Amino acid sequence: MSALPTRDGLAAAGSANALELRGVSRLFGALAALSDITLSVRPGERRAVLGSNGAGKTTLFNCITGDFAPSSGVIRFFGEDVTAFPPQERIRRGLRRTYQISSLFTGLSVIDNVYLACRGVSRNRFSLRRPRRDDTLSHAAQSLVDAVHLTAVKDRLVGELAYGQQRQLEIALALSGAPRFILFDEPAAGLSPTERRDLVHILTSLPAHIGYIIIEHDMDVALRVVESVTMMHNGRIFKEGPPAEIESDPEVQELYLGGAHG
Amino acid sequence: MSDFIARRPIWSLVILLLLGFLLLLVFTVWTPGMEAMFGRKRVFLSALFNGITLGALYFLVASGFTLIFGLMRNVNLAHGSLYLFGGYVGYSVASLTGSWLIALIAAFVIVALAGILMQVLLFRWMEGQDLRQTLVTIGVSIIAADLLLWSYGGDTFQVTTPEWLSGPVQLPFVVGLRSNGDAIMMTYPLVRIAILIGAIILGVAMWLALNRTRVGMLVRAGVDDRDMLSATGVRVQLVFVMVFAFGAGLAGLAGVVGGTFQSLQPGEDTKILLSSLVVVIVGGMGSIPGAAMGALIVGLAEQFGSVYMPTYAVMLTFIIMVAVLAVRPQGLAAVRR
Amino acid sequence: MAIADPRPVIDVPRPRESLSELLARQGTGFWVVVVLLLVMPALANPFWLVQIVAYAMILGMIALSLMFLGGYGGIVSLVQMTVAAFAAYLVAILGDSAITQISMKWPWWMAVPVAVVLATAFGTLSGALSVRTEGIYTIMITLAIASAFYYLCLQNYTIFNGFSGFNGVLPPVFLGVNWGESIPFYYLALVCTALSYWAVVYCARAPFGLALQGTRDNPRRMAALGFDVVAHRIAAYAFASVIAAFAGVLLVWYQRQVSPGTAGIGPVVDILIIAVVGGLSRPIGPFVGALVYVVLRTFSLDLLTAAGLDGRRYQLVIGAGFLAIVLFSPDGLVGIWQRLRERHRRSREAKAAEMRIGGGEP
Repeated sequence: MSALPTRDGLAAAGSANALELRGVSRLFGALAALSDITLSVRPGERRAVLGSNGAGKTTLFNCITGDFAPSSGVIRFFGEDVTAFPPQERIRRGLRRTYQISSLFTGLSVIDNVYLACRGVSRNRFSLRRPRRDDTLSHAAQSLVDAVHLTAVKDRLVGELAYGQQRQLEIALALSGAPRFILFDEPAAGLSPTERRDLVHILTSLPAHIGYIIIEHDMDVALRVVESVTMMHNGRIFKEGPPAEIESDPEVQELYLGGAHG
Repeated sequence: MSDFIARRPIWSLVILLLLGFLLLLVFTVWTPGMEAMFGRKRVFLSALFNGITLGALYFLVASGFTLIFGLMRNVNLAHGSLYLFGGYVGYSVASLTGSWLIALIAAFVIVALAGILMQVLLFRWMEGQDLRQTLVTIGVSIIAADLLLWSYGGDTFQVTTPEWLSGPVQLPFVVGLRSNGDAIMMTYPLVRIAILIGAIILGVAMWLALNRTRVGMLVRAGVDDRDMLSATGVRVQLVFVMVFAFGAGLAGLAGVVGGTFQSLQPGEDTKILLSSLVVVIVGGMGSIPGAAMGALIVGLAEQFGSVYMPTYAVMLTFIIMVAVLAVRPQGLAAVRR
Repeated sequence: MAIADPRPVIDVPRPRESLSELLARQGTGFWVVVVLLLVMPALANPFWLVQIVAYAMILGMIALSLMFLGGYGGIVSLVQMTVAAFAAYLVAILGDSAITQISMKWPWWMAVPVAVVLATAFGTLSGALSVRTEGIYTIMITLAIASAFYYLCLQNYTIFNGFSGFNGVLPPVFLGVNWGESIPFYYLALVCTALSYWAVVYCARAPFGLALQGTRDNPRRMAALGFDVVAHRIAAYAFASVIAAFAGVLLVWYQRQVSPGTAGIGPVVDILIIAVVGGLSRPIGPFVGALVYVVLRTFSLDLLTAAGLDGRRYQLVIGAGFLAIVLFSPDGLVGIWQRLRERHRRSREAKAAEMRIGGGEP
């Protein structure tokens, strides 16, 4: 994860939170997918957002990345108000995201996918010239592919990859450029036990300055890679605290842990 | 509409003022000063009513087009061919039976059948492949255009206006004053008024059907979210066939109508298709009220353009389309998602 | 949005190669075609050279412009022919023609660049109007723009000379060569075609082309990677319009005239047909489609009467052929060719494998 000299590498302003949501709501017609969400994550903090299906976790991510604007509320990223920014502006400031259902370019090869991700956050996105052999971005793409153990299949079309490999590629895309904060949407979904161990290893060995929020149903994975947990239910936050506390909380057990394993 | 006024008070005021000005122009007697500025009032009224009735025709065609797109995401570029086909069929039936009404019904039914065939034989196998469906409609339109040319030749046809719709009717609008002070009232062809009324009735009926019946609810749900529709367990393909048949039939019916107060000849299919495209771009795809709005605007623009700036009439329509695309690309009536 | 589902086959990524490396990589088929094209004036008569091959190359360039947007960008734009026609008109208006009261008599080396720049601007603006809506609207909006341009040309007499258009637009005499003569014009068209073909192939693998394919496959993801999808698409329109504009210049020099019919809905849809029939997945597709189209159009009367059909039913044949391709081989003739080659290769491999295993009769 080399630190490339891009706009994303700007120093965070003083003691600003990496991510701050205040009073964020999102309505779909009469349905309140998110109600009055207020949370803050410090730079480098690792948090899990848990909750049953329909609790609003993915909608929360969509709001943070800018897929749609919140119906009300403010979103701040490293002190900057990004509520009205389109997705690409937030990404260029260091936000990254993986998707629950792999969102990759199936018609391109693995290395091309990663190269695109590196391009997206660099200058010169419109370059008409092909990269030279010693191009820094090509190298960055290559090392990312190596970091997620996909070197052997780097020229294969993504559409031909195994599911687990596609999930690894998702993570590689999120690590491109110089990310400051990542949103992982159910990264362990559909992975084998070995692959899950690999995932935990990748997550825990990320550089300390990169914070993340992880949505996950697999409690084993989730609680092992975070230092704080936010519980959501029906579009609201109903509990926050360190993993051990959350795990042993009777309300949480009744509402969620009882049937949500695996 | 009330929340439109609430959300956009300035635009509502502008529209209200324009409407007020228009009513003033229509109902008062024009002074010589006004006539010097705007031309003769008769010309103005004539352009106004021709524009409205042309808009009625465009509404008939465009509403079928927008319904098919709204539900099935199919940009049916063969819609113009269906119009022309209906017109020719209506002409033939009218010549055979001597009845305009039978021709109207026959055109609707026959073109609706053609629509059923198209949906069942072609589009059903391309669910979700929007672009491919559109390309198929282009191919069908080319074949249809040549077949129609082969059958009916290059002559211009006109469907005879039936006896009971012929002749002028007097409208309560003052065109001018005679020298003795009597008012000259406007006269206008009855058939065009009848078509306007027919289109309004049809539009209202469609709106009621969409908003008050169960089938209509299914169609609206499908327009909103097609996957959701299939999740309800409804026979989605049946709904698609019905909607395509209805939209096609409507185009065929419009062909007879257009053949009555305009004419039928090779090339009309392309012309009406292009007008429909502008109508739905301006009004918003998938929306019947949008089609009505767009049709009225385009009809008026074309008529006023051809009367007051004949060399650039088409440009007026085009400029309106560009303005809508630049400012509100999803169309005037579309709900912003 | 691709037709049906076949993803355009993308070559394995290669960083910038030198020309010699690139040439060394090409197969025999490539060299056969190149040699054939270079020596064609010695083999064919002027009719075939210009009316068939050069004309096919010009139409192919316009169709290539459409293919670039469609195959790599997932954007089906019907305004490419309009861009070419606009460039053609500008050459006639700015340069010399028989309509002396309008033509400004600029020398060709002034008229042509200005024509290309203005036509490209027009194409880019059209793109800007249509990219902010969902993909399927693009066909409608560009068709409407194309038709508006047609009516403008038809009805405006001060600039576009209305129904008659411009005739007497001659290719220039330059460097002692009259580029309007058959052989020089053929080579001119050939060079332009080669340049535009190479430009598309090259840019498709540059970051720009790669990002464009990304916006085709997954625009939402592209935005989530930091790309401005709308800006990229507009830039793609600009690139495609340059090619179409140059083709328009060649077109008016070929026809020696330009009229509203050049920009009519018929030619506009024909370019789409050429591109789709040829194949939207590879840049050679549009040229294959154009050759088929020109040959069919030139010989349709003979072909139809030989088959016992009414000689005037040309459009029916074109429409039916187009429909057949869209229904049965959405990636066009190039797609058919690729599938045949693949099947041939696989059966050869299977036979080789059998012989290795069985060591005897297959």
